[in-house]
Amino acid sequence: MRIKKGLTGLIVGALMLGLLAGCVGKNETNGGDNGGGAAGGKVKLTMWGAVPPENGPQEVVDTWNAEHPDIQVEYVRFVNDDDGNLKLDTALSTGQNVDLYVNYTLTNLDKRIKGGTALDLGEFTDYNIDEKMGEDAASWKVDGKYYGMPTKKNAAFFALNMKALDQAGLSVPKAWTWDEAREYALKLKAAGFKYGLVQHTASYVDPLDSVLVKNGYVKADGSSNLDDPLVTKWLETLNGMMKEDATTPPLGEQLTSKMPVENMFLGGESAMINIGEWLIRTSNNMTEFPRDWKIAFAPVPRLAAQEADMVKSGGLGDFIAINSKSKNKEAAWEFLKWYADGGMMPMAAGGRLPSSNAVDQQTAIDHLLGDYADSYDKESLEFVLYGDETPTFVRSIAQEVVDLRAQEYEKFFLGNQTAEVTVQNMVKRHNDWLKQNQ
Amino acid sequence: MHKSWMKRQSRLGYLFIGPNMIGVLLFFIIPAVYSFYLMFTDYKFMSPETNFVGLDNIRRMLNDDLFGVALRNTFVFLLAVPVSMGLAFIVAVALNKSVYWQKTLRALYFMPYITSGVAIAFVWMLLFQPTSGPINGFLRGIGITNPPGWLSTTEWSMYAIDIIWIWFMLGYNMIIYLAALQEIPEELVEAARIDGARPWQTIRQVIWPLVSPTTFLLLITGLIMTIKNFGIIQAITQGGPGNSTTVLSLFIYQNAFRYYEMGYAAAISWALFAIIMVFTVLQWLGQKRWVHY
Repeated sequence: MRIKKGLTGLIVGALMLGLLAGCVGKNETNGGDNGGGAAGGKVKLTMWGAVPPENGPQEVVDTWNAEHPDIQVEYVRFVNDDDGNLKLDTALSTGQNVDLYVNYTLTNLDKRIKGGTALDLGEFTDYNIDEKMGEDAASWKVDGKYYGMPTKKNAAFFALNMKALDQAGLSVPKAWTWDEAREYALKLKAAGFKYGLVQHTASYVDPLDSVLVKNGYVKADGSSNLDDPLVTKWLETLNGMMKEDATTPPLGEQLTSKMPVENMFLGGESAMINIGEWLIRTSNNMTEFPRDWKIAFAPVPRLAAQEADMVKSGGLGDFIAINSKSKNKEAAWEFLKWYADGGMMPMAAGGRLPSSNAVDQQTAIDHLLGDYADSYDKESLEFVLYGDETPTFVRSIAQEVVDLRAQEYEKFFLGNQTAEVTVQNMVKRHNDWLKQNQ
Repeated sequence: MHKSWMKRQSRLGYLFIGPNMIGVLLFFIIPAVYSFYLMFTDYKFMSPETNFVGLDNIRRMLNDDLFGVALRNTFVFLLAVPVSMGLAFIVAVALNKSVYWQKTLRALYFMPYITSGVAIAFVWMLLFQPTSGPINGFLRGIGITNPPGWLSTTEWSMYAIDIIWIWFMLGYNMIIYLAALQEIPEELVEAARIDGARPWQTIRQVIWPLVSPTTFLLLITGLIMTIKNFGIIQAITQGGPGNSTTVLSLFIYQNAFRYYEMGYAAAISWALFAIIMVFTVLQWLGQKRWVHY
């Protein structure tokens, strides 16, 4: 009852705000900041992000504030889930004081651009995003324009228990297929692990997106391409690992226990984990997760047979936009440049490696690994972070499509429908969605 | 003079209810009217333009397989209401007599109702854990070799939610029933006993009819409350696995606040409103047969 009341309240509140936004939206000058402004020539900026302040952002803004008494930045945290993003979107469209905000997905960014709340950074000419951030930055372009700046290097990889690999006589792969990874999982399980591989449910679909980014989500005739043969290949590989090999936890088990996969990997229950740079935050916590073995790193395996056909999840992240209704765009821009070119360094310890080439790679890695550099296989880490030349993508499909896919493959992994029916359902629902949103 | 006094009085009356009426107008009437309007538009939150699309949203809803799934799940969810009321009645009758630990037991039964929903969600997820959870441990212990997978399967997940919801509502229903039971004149029960009625007969033919207005109240409010609820499902399964626990209210929430499809969400909201309306009217009409005031 309590939660229900709270949520009802939220809905009513949100509806009201939506209503007010509808009324106010036309009159753009109404927006902008309430907290900032000309008071004594001092500018106050508000930056919204989803990282808890104590994991770096507070240190970042404190450093800036100490150096720039005329431009003070305040950090506001929103949680990066539906409710949190709704809160940010509501704040943006009702003109509460948001000067800078971080986008974590292209889907969310897209809505914000359409809502007219992201500034086209093309109006600033003193910083070349393409040059500073490299080729990967371009996947954040919308209609050929930058409505913000990507600041962080995403890294998706397999982390491996090096001791187990050595004992089983397996090498650290630099490029591999899912069939090979499945073999690894079997051998490692045989070496005494409960599971060969664990992964977050959010990482499940990365191989699918790899395929579909390369081959297209939509066919030339405008219909869904979710029946690409590699989709079936993915379904069957993972299903085989769950049910035949028992080298990865069955989905039902994982969902209901909210399986703490990082802990399982670090605690020695699983020999491999499909994860990203944020693993380091946990693996550096030696008091809670002590270990006497090194972690090695490998790229995420590919479904396609040819190495040349691989596009991997990754690219750049933490795309920071300036609110187009902000009254302090210039100041926000100054802060943003400083942030990207090294100001964000305190956040590297939490896995957020700066993407700007103004930042030295070695310094970034030093920050990332902190005191425990010896407990990682440095060579393979540098390879997955900087050495691997495989092109990357940032997932850009609509939330509806992400969800409809998940609903169908969940039914498959739970044994409610065959792979064939799963693909048929995905295609049908995707086509319906395409028709609805043409 | 009398008339002007009346006028002044009524003006004063309006003044007193004014603040409240403004709240009702701002937070209930205007949003309701606005959502009715939204139903006929393609309004997406954050999107710059809104077009009038007529009955498109309603047509889309009727062709949407997920709407059908959500409707079915909602009806399964509603099964929890009569079950929870039945159990609550039995517990209330038992706790109405002088039994040991009477007050403690009452408090215990009421506990879920005042506990945070997120905590409830986590505890039940642990209990329902298919391989290592205590519920299936118990079921295996009594000889069921293949206990259900509860929240981890699409067949059982909605019933698992039902069980949680029954447990959650039990305390509230029980308290209301207890209040009703205490209102029953002792003479009636005594007269039945003197006439030779067995305890079961007394409960069925004296006590149950006497609390029927309470049953009616609990049924109507329980159904409405359940049909609107989604918080507990959002906390436990987010509508999954697959879409096996997506009820209508959650479906609305997802469309509105996950996909920002406000127009479509408004259309489903009004469909939900219509269903609640029909339910309530049917119950009002039906009550003459079994509710004794």
